Amino acid sequence: MKPLVLIVDDSLTVRMDLAEAFHSADFEALQCSSVKEARKALAGQSCDLVVLDILLPDGDGFDFLREIRSSKKSDIPVMLLSSEAEARDRIKGLKKGADEYVGKPYDRSYVVSRARQLLRHGDQEAGGKRQTVLVIDDSSTFRSELQQALEKQDYGVMTAASGEEGLRMAADLRPSAVVVDGVLPGIDGATVIRRIRLDTALRQTLCVLLTGSEEQGAELKALEAGADAFVRKEEDIPVVFARLAAALRKAPESTSQSAVSLLGPKKILAVDDSLTYLHELTDALRGEGYDVAMAKSGEEALELLAVQAVDCILLDLLMPGLSGQETCRRIKAAPFLRDIPVIMLTAMEDRNTMIEGLIAGADDYISKSSDLEILRARVRAQLRRRQFEGENRRIREQLLRVELEAAEARAARELAETRAALIAELERKNRELETFSYSVSHDLRAPLRSIDGFSQALVEDYGKALDEKASDYLRRIRGAAQRMGELIDDLLQLSRIGRMDLNRESVDLSAMVTAIVKALQERAPERQVEFRTQGGLVVEADPRLLKIALENLLGNAWKFTGKTPRAMIEVGTEANGRESVYYVKDNGAGFDMEYAAKLFAPFQRLHKDTEFPGTGIGLATVYRIVDRHGGRIWVEASPGAGATFRWTIPLSKGGEAYERTQPHHSAG
Amino acid sequence: MSEHNPIILLVEDNDDDVQLTLRAFEKSKVANRIIVVRDGQEALDYLYARGPHARRPDSEMPQVVLLDLKLPKVDGLEVLRHMRGQEATRRLPVVVLTSSKEERDIIASYNLGANSYVRKPVDFGQFVEAAAQLGLYWLVLNEAPPLP
Repeated sequence: MKPLVLIVDDSLTVRMDLAEAFHSADFEALQCSSVKEARKALAGQSCDLVVLDILLPDGDGFDFLREIRSSKKSDIPVMLLSSEAEARDRIKGLKKGADEYVGKPYDRSYVVSRARQLLRHGDQEAGGKRQTVLVIDDSSTFRSELQQALEKQDYGVMTAASGEEGLRMAADLRPSAVVVDGVLPGIDGATVIRRIRLDTALRQTLCVLLTGSEEQGAELKALEAGADAFVRKEEDIPVVFARLAAALRKAPESTSQSAVSLLGPKKILAVDDSLTYLHELTDALRGEGYDVAMAKSGEEALELLAVQAVDCILLDLLMPGLSGQETCRRIKAAPFLRDIPVIMLTAMEDRNTMIEGLIAGADDYISKSSDLEILRARVRAQLRRRQFEGENRRIREQLLRVELEAAEARAARELAETRAALIAELERKNRELETFSYSVSHDLRAPLRSIDGFSQALVEDYGKALDEKASDYLRRIRGAAQRMGELIDDLLQLSRIGRMDLNRESVDLSAMVTAIVKALQERAPERQVEFRTQGGLVVEADPRLLKIALENLLGNAWKFTGKTPRAMIEVGTEANGRESVYYVKDNGAGFDMEYAAKLFAPFQRLHKDTEFPGTGIGLATVYRIVDRHGGRIWVEASPGAGATFRWTIPLSKGGEAYERTQPHHSAG
Repeated sequence: MSEHNPIILLVEDNDDDVQLTLRAFEKSKVANRIIVVRDGQEALDYLYARGPHARRPDSEMPQVVLLDLKLPKVDGLEVLRHMRGQEATRRLPVVVLTSSKEERDIIASYNLGANSYVRKPVDFGQFVEAAAQLGLYWLVLNEAPPLP
């Protein structure tokens, strides 16, 4: 289906001219002379592009543009068309969301080229894999014959009648292949191919040269021009296809889709305080197919550059306000502008001003008195240079990216391997440790049972034969065996805590504390201990581990208040900034803070075993449990005045701690 | 419970433990006959009256089995698994009597159908207490399943 362009302009001449240009470029065109008509047309048709004049009899192009941008069809490309009086209009239009701003008088081919480009951008994602062929031949009979035959083979086909038109189309539409007649009215087929080969965005396009059989050295000529294949026109069309298909098969995937073609439409910014000279320049460049944006001062140029992308800048050196040098310096200092070639213009043939201009960062320098042909040639040269630079940068970036990706992949692989090895090693060690502690748990206790059991048997059965000293020795043997039993149990527990899975859930800390205290009281019913706990404490923790920790902390408090007349144990919470701190406080034996640092290491004891017996593993176990929950534990104590253990259990990710503070007393 | 004195089968390979267990039952006034076998294989032979125990009379079928877990040849859990798969021993009460309180041992034992799990304490005094409670419960209070 042909793309539909809506042309909105009150001048009949402009409408007719553009409609004709679009028709011959294979577009459908719909003409409207007012905003009202355009609104109606847009509502009724699905347009692909709008060419919009700014001054309309019943409204303003800017307003209509805003209307389009806020409507359902907001993504439709809009090209504003207006007499280039003020750079301000251009800035306004582009800021309001126009995709292009073309000054009147316009260049027809530029308008059509830009239209094709804008449509191609929208199509790119949807674009299929179908290969397209551009046929360039001046004979319309041959063109349509080849077009029909190619379309049957499922190629997308476009045609051009001249080399110049063909090149422009190639730049806009990026065909997979170009079939060009060797003999053409303007530039010949070999030149077309040569130009394609010179353009980094197009150079990978497959080129087939058609030659007449009578031509001598046709093959050599074709190869010299850089053609991929050549076909004699007299040959059967199937032969042409076979060659084309074979060549297309081996055609590389185009890597320069994103590159901007040298032969595509170009926009040039001309900056000069003289309007007369600006118009002279504009005319000269429009003839070459460029669109020219004008700015009357350096300030205006910079303002325009913020919204208008241009391909080359012609900059007058001597201007009131911001000078050409300063403007150039600012352009070259802006990261997104510095690649645009700047050509300095000056009326004076002065060596010093030339040098100053170049120091400011200009890419070239030209005298205003020079022939306009020279100016055009310089502009072309600068554009080509910029394209080559762009290609180089792309290649460098691509290489760098590939290298970077390879390095990243290598690093990731090495990391994964190292990690896998570490995990395997860790799992092996864990299994070993598991086996070890399993055997310890079974085998180490059996001999202790024998030592204890037979010592007891000796006392029971032969008690009479033993004197007091012998009985004491046996008592010591039994005591040692039992202590060792406890030690084994505590050590096994400590080692298991590091390896157990951590399963967090909401735990009623208050209820757990109450149950543990009850068990302690049952084991020593004769003891009188006042016990206080805050009700409703809930924490996110592994219930089994938390129970072990609380058993140890409360067991210690119970033990060390054993010789305190009015024993008191308290459990509660206190807020410390954003985290909750829990505590177990007693008024028991306490200890000197000088040794507090040693307390959480295994086998560290601050009391004589005869005073308060213990294995010295309990607090190491508590420390490990708190640590596994990501919390901290610390202690405050003084000899004879009790100890307070405080700890935190931070929330796991996404968890939520909630606690009510209701004092709750229970005496034990 | 019955006119004859119920039999206890003790499956234990450690001779010290055998002696201490017998002594603990004696001290706790459990007067039942205790038959001792030294490994898992022998335990199964006795239970199913085969091999060296082929001539065991039916009347000497135990009323409760005290089973150690770490045993030579066939370990305790295997013995238990086998017993629960056989009609003759499916309902016979089994008390696991062992050294460890490893969680995985406890879970595996109950999963295989142990009726109780008792850890042998180091302190002989506690062992005597445990033996007394075991005897009281399994031989006096507990109503045994009918013999098949």
